[in-house]
Amino acid sequence: MGTVKWLQILDPLRGLFEKSGIDYDMMRRILEVKLLMDGRRVPTLIQKSSKTADPDNQSNQFIKSLWIYVVISVVLIPFIVMKTNYMFQMSLVFGILMFMITTSMISDFSSVMLDVRDRNILFSKPVQRRTISMAKLLHVLIYLLLLTGSLTVVPLAVGLFRHGVLFFLLFLVEIILMDFFIVVLTAVLYWLVLRFFDGEKLKDIINYVQIGLTIVMTVGYQFISRLFNLMDLTAAFTPKWWEIFIFPAWFASPFEWLLGQGKSPLIVIFSVLSVVGPLVAWWVYSLLMPSFERNLQKLASHHGRGKTRGFRLQEGLSMLFCRGQLERLFFRFSWDMMGRERDFKLKVYPQLGFSIVFPFIFMFNMLRSEGGFAAMRTGKGFLFLYFCALMIPSIIMMLKFSGNYKGAWIYQTAPLTDTASVYKGALKAMVARLFAPVFILQAVIFLIIFGARIIPELIVILLGVLLYVVVSFMALEKGLPFSRPFQSSQSGGGFVIFGLIVLLGVFAGAHFGFTFLPYGEYLYMLLLLVLNLIAWKLAFRELPAS
Amino acid sequence: MIETAGGRQEPVISIRNLEMSYGSKPILQGIDLDVYQGQIIGYIGPNGAGKSTTVKIMLGLVEGYQGEVKIFGRDIADGDTDYKRRIGYVPEVAELYESLTAQEYLVFVGELYGLPQRKADHKARRLMAKFGLEEVYFDRISSYSKGMRQKVLLISSLLHNPDILFLDEPLSGLDANSVMIVKEILAALAAEGKTIFYSSHIMDVVEKISSRILLLNGGRIVADGSFEELREQSHERSLEQIFNDLTGFHEYKDVAASFVSIVQEV
Repeated sequence: MGTVKWLQILDPLRGLFEKSGIDYDMMRRILEVKLLMDGRRVPTLIQKSSKTADPDNQSNQFIKSLWIYVVISVVLIPFIVMKTNYMFQMSLVFGILMFMITTSMISDFSSVMLDVRDRNILFSKPVQRRTISMAKLLHVLIYLLLLTGSLTVVPLAVGLFRHGVLFFLLFLVEIILMDFFIVVLTAVLYWLVLRFFDGEKLKDIINYVQIGLTIVMTVGYQFISRLFNLMDLTAAFTPKWWEIFIFPAWFASPFEWLLGQGKSPLIVIFSVLSVVGPLVAWWVYSLLMPSFERNLQKLASHHGRGKTRGFRLQEGLSMLFCRGQLERLFFRFSWDMMGRERDFKLKVYPQLGFSIVFPFIFMFNMLRSEGGFAAMRTGKGFLFLYFCALMIPSIIMMLKFSGNYKGAWIYQTAPLTDTASVYKGALKAMVARLFAPVFILQAVIFLIIFGARIIPELIVILLGVLLYVVVSFMALEKGLPFSRPFQSSQSGGGFVIFGLIVLLGVFAGAHFGFTFLPYGEYLYMLLLLVLNLIAWKLAFRELPAS
Repeated sequence: MIETAGGRQEPVISIRNLEMSYGSKPILQGIDLDVYQGQIIGYIGPNGAGKSTTVKIMLGLVEGYQGEVKIFGRDIADGDTDYKRRIGYVPEVAELYESLTAQEYLVFVGELYGLPQRKADHKARRLMAKFGLEEVYFDRISSYSKGMRQKVLLISSLLHNPDILFLDEPLSGLDANSVMIVKEILAALAAEGKTIFYSSHIMDVVEKISSRILLLNGGRIVADGSFEELREQSHERSLEQIFNDLTGFHEYKDVAASFVSIVQEV
C-alpha cells in the first residue's frame, strides 16, 4: 500500500492543526494520496500500445528536475558575495527569487490550486472543507518548499561562509516568509479573478492574468536593478516611501537594518513589513479560502458557446502553408486546440509573455550601458529579437500534452496513413498561431526603432527560427499532438530544452558573425534557406506509424 | 429507525421549495419532496432537467440554492458535514483518482468515511472479489474498463454501509450479468431499510426496480408515484411512453427518419 513516510515530519504540528479545527489524520491521508498520485505517470492509450507501463515507477518527475534549479541559483551567488550594500544586493536576490518562484507557481501549480476534480471525490465525503483546503495548501507548499530549497541551498551556504551565521539565519527566515507571502499572493489573485467573473470567461481571464503577471514580474525585476543603478553602490541607501510597494525591498531591509548601516525609519518599517506582511496575508487568506472554494465551483461549469464566423483565418492559413488535406486538417485542428485547450494555454501562454518581454529588456539594458538611443539604432541590437524564439522548444514539448488526452483514441481508430503530415500540420499551426503574432509585433517595433535597414536581418531571423523549430522538433521526444496527460508538475525534458536554448544562442552568434562579411546577411540567408528545405524534409521522413 | 412516538415515519430526506439557478439560467424551480426509509426512488427526466443538480445539492457539492433541504431531520446548510457519513454516492461521470490502484483508492475513500484502514482494506477486497475483480485489486484504475470502474465506484459508495445511497447512472458500462447482480443488491439493500435515490436514462430498469418514480422536467417534478400509479394516470403502457408523454416529446419517429436520411447522404 502506498504511503509517504516522510509526511511524519508534520506530526509535531498536529496540535496546531487541530486547534484550527482541522482533522489532522484525514488531512495527512489526503495529502499522502495526492503525493502518491503525483509520483505516478498515468499511462495513456498511446503509451500503453507501445510499451507496457512500469507499475512501480514512483519517481516524481518534478523532484527529478530540481537539480536544474540548483544550477540556476548560481546566478545569485555574485549578489550574495558582494559586500557593498545589503539593501541593493538582497533586493536583487529576493527579486530574482520571487520572480522565479511566482512564475513557476503560476505555470506549474495553478492546476493544483484550481483542481476541480476533487469536488466529486472529496466534497461528497464527511470531511470538513477546512481540512480539504489545508491539505491542498500543504500540497502546494511542499512543492514550493522543494523548489525554494533547491533554489536557495547554494546561496544559503555561500551566505553562511561569506557573511556568517546571523546572515544565514536571517536569510533562511526571510526566505520562508517570502514563500508564505507568494502562496497567499497567488491565491488572492486567483480569488479576485474568481470573485468577479465566471465560467469560461474566468478561465480566459486566468490565462491573461498569468501572461500579464509574467510580463509585470519581468519588467518589475528590471525596475529593481534600475532603482539602484542611478546611485553610488557604496553609499548608504536612503529608501523612498514608494519603495514600500516593491516587495523584494521588504525582505532585503532586515539585512540592512541588522547587518548594514542603514537605520532610517523606513528601513525599520520595511523590515517589520517583511514579517507582518506575510502573516497578515496568511490571515486574509484563511478568511478568503471558503469563498475561494465556493467560487472554484464556477470553474466546473461550462456555459461556453462557440461563435460561428463566416471566414475563418485558420482555413486561409492552412491553404497557404500546408500541402495535402491531412496536413491542412491537422493545422486547423491544432490551431483550434491551442486556442481552446485550457490546460495547454495555462502552461504555454505565460511563456509567450516572456517571449514578448525579453527582447525589449535586453534592449533597454543596452540603452543604459552604451551611448544611448542613437548609438543603439545603428548597432546590432536587433539580434535581441532572437530571444522571442526562446519559448519554442518548451512549446513544442507541450504540443503532445492535453487535458483531454483521452480523446486521442481517435488517432488510432481513424484511417490515418502518414503521421508525418500530422506532426507537420501541428508544428506549422504552432508557428502560425503562437510564434507569428509575437514575431510580427516585435518585428514592427524593431523596424520603428532600427529603421528599414534591418529588413534583411528580420528575414534571416525568421528563417533561423523556422530552422530552429524543426531542429527542436527533431531533438525533443515525439508524441502525437494532444495525446498525453499533463502531470501536476511537468518538468521533464529539461535537459534537452537547456541544450536547445544554447543552440538558439549559436544561431544568433552565427548571424552576428556573418554581419561582418560583405553581404554576410544574404549569404547566411541563403544558407538558412537551404538548411530549412533539407531539415523540413528530413525531420518527417522516418516517423513511427503511431 | 427514525420514527416518531406516533409510529408514523419521518422522512429521511425532506426538500421544501428548492430553487437553484446558474447565473440567469434557472435549473430547479421549486422542488418539494419527502423521501422515506426503504424507498427506491427512480429519479428520471430529460437531459438538463436538474437531476444531477438536485443530488449534488443534497451532497453539499453545490451551494447557493434557495429553499430548505433536510437530511435525517437536519438542515444540511448548518455546516455540519457529519450527515455525509451515512450517505453513499456514485457520481454521473466516473471520476476517480485513476493513478491509484483499486486498493489504494477504496481504502482512501473508506478512511475518508472514517473506517479504520485495515477494515476498509479487508471489506473492499472481499467486495471486489464478489464482482470478480480480485486479481486486479492491486492494479491501477487507469488500466480498468468502464464497467470495472463503475464497480469500483459502487463499492466505494457502499464501504461504510450508508443509510442513503445516491446513484447517478449506476449501471452504465456494466454487462448484463453485473446489472442483474446490482439490481438484486439494490433491492436487498432497500429491504434492509436503506433509502436509494437513483437516476437513470434506462427506463426499463427504472420501471422494474423503483418503488417510486419521480419525473423531473424543466426544474419541476411533473410526476410522482409508483409505476402503477403513473400508468393509471397517463394511460400509457410503458415508462418510456409515460416519459415521452409527460416531457411533451412525440416526434421521435420524424427525428429518427430525417437523421438517417442525413447519414445516408455522402
